[in-house]
Amino acid sequence: VVDQIKLWQLEMDRIRATDGYLFSEFKNFDEYKDVSTYAKELGVLLYENPGKRKFVSTLAGSQQIVEFVKRRNQKHRSSAN
Amino acid sequence: MPKATRGVLIECDPSIKALIVNIDSSQHNIILDELDDTHLMIHPSMVEVVKQKLNKMLAENTYNPNEEAAKATGK
Repeated sequence: VVDQIKLWQLEMDRIRATDGYLFSEFKNFDEYKDVSTYAKELGVLLYENPGKRKFVSTLAGSQQIVEFVKRRNQKHRSSAN
Repeated sequence: MPKATRGVLIECDPSIKALIVNIDSSQHNIILDELDDTHLMIHPSMVEVVKQKLNKMLAENTYNPNEEAAKATGK
């Protein structure tokens, strides 16, 4: 009986909640890979799911990621011209 | 342009995840994304609600010796 209560307490302890931003709807895998790699290098990547092309960054890291995406897309557009 | 959605990343056991999915099923106003078996993205304002409901559900599943004693004497 005591073991069972301990188990539930352990399960509650095992829940982790972290504020962040979910990045999704990438155009293709290249875009996902570039941006998630950037987030990883910055050290702000909390979670990644390449199969679904989704990742979660810290709250603080999100702005830099958005700026990176803008720069990346600009570069890709100019190289296409 | 990829989409960026503000939320709270929850990391937990599959059993706890199933409970959160269950809590969400009545109104669908908690979960933003079911990422995998052990990860969920939930609405920032719903963290406290989830915590309270989980605590209640887990307490209901905990053995209560007084209840058992009452049942035993009732026989």
